Amino acid sequence: MDEIVQLLVTCIIDSLYPETGEAVVRVLNRAGVSVEFPPDQTCCGQPAFNAGMRGLSRSLAEQTIRVFEKTQGAIVVPSGSCTAMIRHGYPELFQGDPDWLRRVKTISERTYEFSEFLVDILGVSDVGASISDSYTYHASCHLLRGLGVSYQPRTLLKTIRGGKFTELPHSEECCGFGGLFSIEHPEVSGAMLDRKITNIEASGANLIVSCDAGCITNINGGLHRLGKPQRAIHIADLLAGSIPDKPNH
Amino acid sequence: MKMLIPDQFHRRIRSALANQPLQAALDANANRRMIANQQAFVSLGEDLQVLRQRAHQCRKKTIENLDFFLEQFITQVKGNGIIVHRAGNAQQAVQYVLNIAQDNQAKLIAKSKTMVSEEIGLNPVLEATGIRVIETDLGEFIVQLRGERPSHIITPAVHLRRAEVGQTFHEKLNIPYSQDVPTLTAAARKVLRETFLTADIGISGVNFGVVESGTLCLVTNEGNGRMVTTLPKIHIALMGIERLVPTFDDLALMLSLLTRAATGQKITVYVSLINSPRGEKDPDGATQRHLILVDNGRDLMRKSPLAEALLCIRCGACLNACPVFREIGGHSYVSKTGEGSPYPGPIGSIISPVFFGGPEFGQLARASSLCGACREVCPVDIDLPKLLLRERAGGVKLESAQALQNIPGGVVLGLRLYTWFAKKPGRFALAEKAGYLLSRMFSPFSHWLWLPGFTGWGYSKDMPSLARRSFRKRWAEGEYRSSVDVTFTHDGFQNQEKGLDKIEEETKASEKSRNEPALPGSEDLVNRFSEELIALEGTLTYCYIDKDSKASSDELQRNIRAFLQDKGVKKIQAWESNQLPEKLVSSLQSSGINIVNEPDPEIRIGLTGALAGIAETGSLVIPSGPGRPLTASLLPEIHLAVLRASDIYENLAQVLKLPDIRESASAVVISGPSRTGDIEMTHTIGVHGPMELHVFCLLCR
Repeated sequence: MDEIVQLLVTCIIDSLYPETGEAVVRVLNRAGVSVEFPPDQTCCGQPAFNAGMRGLSRSLAEQTIRVFEKTQGAIVVPSGSCTAMIRHGYPELFQGDPDWLRRVKTISERTYEFSEFLVDILGVSDVGASISDSYTYHASCHLLRGLGVSYQPRTLLKTIRGGKFTELPHSEECCGFGGLFSIEHPEVSGAMLDRKITNIEASGANLIVSCDAGCITNINGGLHRLGKPQRAIHIADLLAGSIPDKPNH
Repeated sequence: MKMLIPDQFHRRIRSALANQPLQAALDANANRRMIANQQAFVSLGEDLQVLRQRAHQCRKKTIENLDFFLEQFITQVKGNGIIVHRAGNAQQAVQYVLNIAQDNQAKLIAKSKTMVSEEIGLNPVLEATGIRVIETDLGEFIVQLRGERPSHIITPAVHLRRAEVGQTFHEKLNIPYSQDVPTLTAAARKVLRETFLTADIGISGVNFGVVESGTLCLVTNEGNGRMVTTLPKIHIALMGIERLVPTFDDLALMLSLLTRAATGQKITVYVSLINSPRGEKDPDGATQRHLILVDNGRDLMRKSPLAEALLCIRCGACLNACPVFREIGGHSYVSKTGEGSPYPGPIGSIISPVFFGGPEFGQLARASSLCGACREVCPVDIDLPKLLLRERAGGVKLESAQALQNIPGGVVLGLRLYTWFAKKPGRFALAEKAGYLLSRMFSPFSHWLWLPGFTGWGYSKDMPSLARRSFRKRWAEGEYRSSVDVTFTHDGFQNQEKGLDKIEEETKASEKSRNEPALPGSEDLVNRFSEELIALEGTLTYCYIDKDSKASSDELQRNIRAFLQDKGVKKIQAWESNQLPEKLVSSLQSSGINIVNEPDPEIRIGLTGALAGIAETGSLVIPSGPGRPLTASLLPEIHLAVLRASDIYENLAQVLKLPDIRESASAVVISGPSRTGDIEMTHTIGVHGPMELHVFCLLCR
């Protein structure tokens, strides 16, 4: 009960999916962990980094590091992509700057993606969650290939009571989000998303579970445009037993 | 505003997405290649990840010390009698080829696949001076006939379906329209055979240059690589300066990964190892060989943050795995002015800006979702997403000025605004509130926002509204500061066995590590050789001999005689009698078979010996030399080879240590009959080389 973690909620969850942020807190609490939220956090700087504007990215990265340096305990991030930014993007961003690289190292060694933290650090696989719907799993790219986190979310999903799990064909294929890529290359992004949606339909599941709010926004955006009944949710929503009301109205 | 007036790149992308045959071709490529590769990697003797890291380190060491290795390599190559030219840029490289062609009054050049020649824009210059250049790789031949460029670095015609190839052949080669892949392949064989026999110069690429010996290694499936390096008097090899491996052991490692990653084969049908021009007493082979080493920006890249891209061995796996390539195909990768790059896909988006100009080609690196599928399949573990990000951040110099040239103005403005807000938590919270109000204003009755297409997002997706109260606001209002959910008991938790699956996997992998190699000729090796050869559609006939008898067995003579009789063949091309088991030639002659050493287009069967066999891949190793014409295993439709079981080794690395490999002018490793997959990846036997391979294996009684 005495473990304290710092929540890096991510800008997308902060502004688009606050309920998911709350679900993250509830699941961590259930797992016996106290959660703190450093209020000065905003964005890790990934959008500008991926766009090639490293100066801008660096200013937000420095700010993120400063905010979390003042805190204690593990930093838990409900996003594979933002975790990968801190773990792999920051060392790249601060290359050639030994002072900052030291600070990056200290921070990134404390940083874990949500499912990774539960399974690998807390040793938790069952948080007592249950579901009545059918569901499947989309392995988001930065989580799977960037961090090598693959069995952790699946381990958590295996302990869900009720419902019906089916495999998503080509679960590991990109959904076409890619941050600004989806805006700069909407045609390709859209074609990749079409493929993902075809696979979702083939899975027969109603809910698509993912660990990244970026993929969720992308997939739901496409599903809504096409008037499809399925929807993507964050793994924390499922684990907390608080799947948000269907937003497709 | 991109969507209102699409630029060249987006126009290509849209037309590719709307092109149904192209989409079908690209889907087929992605599916088949990825399955084939996974299967091929299972056949590796060691854990793939271990080998990948070894290969990465080997390439890294070579690139880091490139000046040293290059100097040694050049000394070796020159010592072997090959003329070396060093080209700093594309123009110089083209000029060297042109000079050699003009010095020798060349009229016709036969080319096998070389991506460097595409990079330097060779063909148009040669053609402008009246020299005919004919591409002989089936895929390259097809795109040349169509006046196109290759759309993939391994399978140049991957963008075409068989109906389109049939139509092209019908129009350009005057043959009846056909969709039958073997028929189309046979038509190309016929046309190109003439080219091989009459070309003044053969031009090839180089897959690897071996530093320790100065050997040029070339891998092909169809046999055209062997043709252009064997038949014309003059051979010109084009090679990027980075394609070096220090030793033959390194070569064996690289080849085992290259062919698996490229086409899912354990080894390609032909691996040519070229040391020098034809020896004085050699019956065939080019008499003059040139090596043109092309820099063209590579040295600059080596000293830049993009250096890791030089580790690339051009297998094309990153293209096959890339979800963007799968949607748009190779021809869509164009500069701002619409000029194509011969190197598409993830690796192309990194190297094209260096070779052809950052301001023009830098935009390609932005066409990636950074999903990392490319890195996952890269056999030398190049961190392609990292390099794409560096390209986006300004390329070789990481210059923000260059970066900005390739970022759409709206994105630059948006990111600057966003960052300004995100720098201060208070401002950020305000922006979130404003965002929410705006989204309500535009969409008062729905959670969803419909954005117009030109915003990018609205092209195919809807946008969820921002939350009324952000997480930070909810937290600040104290709703979720409660620490631990006391009502929940710990009974629901299970201690998870930490990554047990993963540990098991690792253990299994290490157990898989290879045993000591077996002695040459052991029963196990012979059996495996036989299985592999048959899997490649070759045949194997055992012929027993007495242990101490040097004489070729009656059984061997009988079997070969019977084979020739069955085919109704009276004349064959063969190695000289002293290079084959004793009395074999004389016994065939006495039964009325006319045996010649010289190549003859009319001859249907070639008979050779073999230096060694390779159990792992079912391969034959055949060196050139006096009395051993290379053409006997290349030109006839049917290749018969005599191999002693005691010469069968475990793997390529062992065979590459045999002295004959380095001492002969050239050697070839042959694995099955000639084949191609260039039309719809349909496996087709017999392109340029033999259509049948029959091995007669001599076993001691």
